[in-house]
Amino acid sequence: MIQIKSLIKSYGGIAVVDIPELLINKGETIGLVGNNGAGKTTLFRLMLDLIRADEGEIISKDENVAEGEKWKHYTTSFLDEGFLIEYLTPEEYFYFIGSLHGIGKAQVDAELVNYSDFFNGEILDRKKYIRDLSKGNQCKVGVVAALLQSPEMLLLDEPFANIDPSTQIRLKNLIKQISTEKQITTIISSHDLNHVTEVSERILLMEKGKIIKDIQTGTNTLSELEEYFSVMQ
Amino acid sequence: MNRAFFQHQWIAFWRSKNTGKSMAVSIVLGLTLLYFFANLLVLSFFLDKILEKVSPDRDAIESFNAILLYYFLVDLLMRFQLQELPTLKVKPYLNLPVGRNKIVNYLSLTSLWSGFTLSPFLLTVPFLLKVLVFEGEGTAFLSMVVSIAGLTIFNHFFSLWLKRKINMNAWFMVAFLVGLALVILGDFYLDAISISIVSRVAFNAIIEQPYLAILPVLTGFAMFYANQVFLKRNLYLDELRKERSTDNSVADIPFLKQFGMAGELAALEIKLILRNKRPRSTLIMSGFFMLYGLIFYPKGEPDGTIMIFAGLFMTGIFIINYGQFMFSWQSSHFDGILANKISAEDFFKSKFIIFTIFSSITLLLTVPYVYFGWRILLAHGMLYLWNIGVSSLIVLAFANWNYKYIDLSKGSSFNWEGVGASQFIVGLPLFLIPLFIYMLTKWILNPVAAMLMIGFIGLVFIVSRTFWINKLVNSFKAKRYTIAEGFRNH
Repeated sequence: MIQIKSLIKSYGGIAVVDIPELLINKGETIGLVGNNGAGKTTLFRLMLDLIRADEGEIISKDENVAEGEKWKHYTTSFLDEGFLIEYLTPEEYFYFIGSLHGIGKAQVDAELVNYSDFFNGEILDRKKYIRDLSKGNQCKVGVVAALLQSPEMLLLDEPFANIDPSTQIRLKNLIKQISTEKQITTIISSHDLNHVTEVSERILLMEKGKIIKDIQTGTNTLSELEEYFSVMQ
Repeated sequence: MNRAFFQHQWIAFWRSKNTGKSMAVSIVLGLTLLYFFANLLVLSFFLDKILEKVSPDRDAIESFNAILLYYFLVDLLMRFQLQELPTLKVKPYLNLPVGRNKIVNYLSLTSLWSGFTLSPFLLTVPFLLKVLVFEGEGTAFLSMVVSIAGLTIFNHFFSLWLKRKINMNAWFMVAFLVGLALVILGDFYLDAISISIVSRVAFNAIIEQPYLAILPVLTGFAMFYANQVFLKRNLYLDELRKERSTDNSVADIPFLKQFGMAGELAALEIKLILRNKRPRSTLIMSGFFMLYGLIFYPKGEPDGTIMIFAGLFMTGIFIINYGQFMFSWQSSHFDGILANKISAEDFFKSKFIIFTIFSSITLLLTVPYVYFGWRILLAHGMLYLWNIGVSSLIVLAFANWNYKYIDLSKGSSFNWEGVGASQFIVGLPLFLIPLFIYMLTKWILNPVAAMLMIGFIGLVFIVSRTFWINKLVNSFKAKRYTIAEGFRNH
């Protein structure tokens, strides 16, 4: 699905992302972990062609993301609030996102019903603009907007960070559900090792721009990661 | 503590990511301001001559006293329109052991640093020196200056207080405007009151009995104190901000649907304009420009170059005012635009739709100027074509070179955020090219043909728009990382 070849991005002479080779298979759910500054968000931005790679390329379904735009048809993402249009109401934003993919209002409404638990009554019909929502609720809007577009490839940057415990659990179930039912390739970064090992089949551990561990999640993955991060201290 | 505040603001200015780039902007602005102040000084210096010309049978100082209160009324109105609330970000200090008094004092003191505080003095002191001090009336001079200082302080804190009140309750604005309208009505139409007489009597009295200058000073300080008390009581994060709830005033615009994705994006941008403070005030200012023609046209049918200029401005004001800051308007969600399934072609097409809509509205609004001559209507029509054909293209070409973030929630007057070199340079081609084409064709043929020429060229660019959009898209694709990076780093 995704192939990364000798990818390098550096700022001020220091490589923040340096990945010689990485292959992501279709339908995989991948957890991306690493301390602050490890290069997770930069990697996401490179994959979404938001920043220019110094060297190397990212191939999505035989297409270099920096050159074509076809990947935008099946790749959706939520990295931060900068992806939301803050002066719209959540409904308006969902309709807009739907219209990008030719999904009509009625269909969006029908789809949104599936997320009513996830929204917990705090998003729809509140007559609030997105800019007036709390960070956690903005995150819910962003995640659902990404899912609405029925992607084949989903990128989420720290989706667990700002949301309450109930929503975290609902989000975990949601991710597990879509990865088994819909075969969506998903990459999720998180600082919460419990959550991330629970939902992902494969863990990529980043440190200073490099992927230093690439493991299939097993029974002792969590303790392996905990060991790594406690040694770091 | 005040020193620490000053220091923080100073550091904030120098460390803001825009400082380096905006030095040139600051210099140009500084020079403009100096020029403006110099004008005030010169005006003040010759004020006695002017006043004697206007009313020869009265002393200059008498006439001066009679209009002084009007000046402060106008000053109040201008402040109401233009003055911004002081912008120290108080949030990081509220949770620290810093006295409320100190924060409030700092807010009040720094707010005085503004051209509005200086201009009354520039405008009056040279004049007063000339007519009072040189005539040996030093005490009268002092009492006048002190009174003017008192009234300036009053106006300053009154407008701050009023603006904060309005933020919490919009009825205060209604009350203020109605009150002002009543005063004007009473003075000029009903002759029920006369500010002129009040003003003359009051300031004559101050000149004769200098100790009376204490009264304006007292009102000034009373207002200062009122503002202080108000601030101290309301220094809570949620209360200084207006309570917002959406009204969904702009629902969908079905008419735009026929343009497909570009139409969706255009509808989105119209919401952006109407729902955010800065673009909204840009739009309102553009509305005021519809009166621009009144400066030239009533004097009889104007010269062609004037018509070009006025027509260009009036039918293109939105393209100029709003377009010069593209795509900064979308800076806060630009990443989303890039990462989503939005094609660059549609993105640019939507801009042309927006420009065409607003230019058409301004064209319609300026039709009544036909009263002053049919050539004016012709000029407006031709420049309308020029604006949507060429000006919009120029503005968009420059937009690809604009990397500055804009905070949509701040007002637009005296707000230099997002202003950079591109805003200064874009004016040159916008104004010079049509003027040049007009003069050249007029020289070869005649004025009407020259006007038609402008419209024709505009039409050619409209017809060949797809070609130009492709050019814009290519340049956009090359610059997209730089633009996104600039918007991200604010």
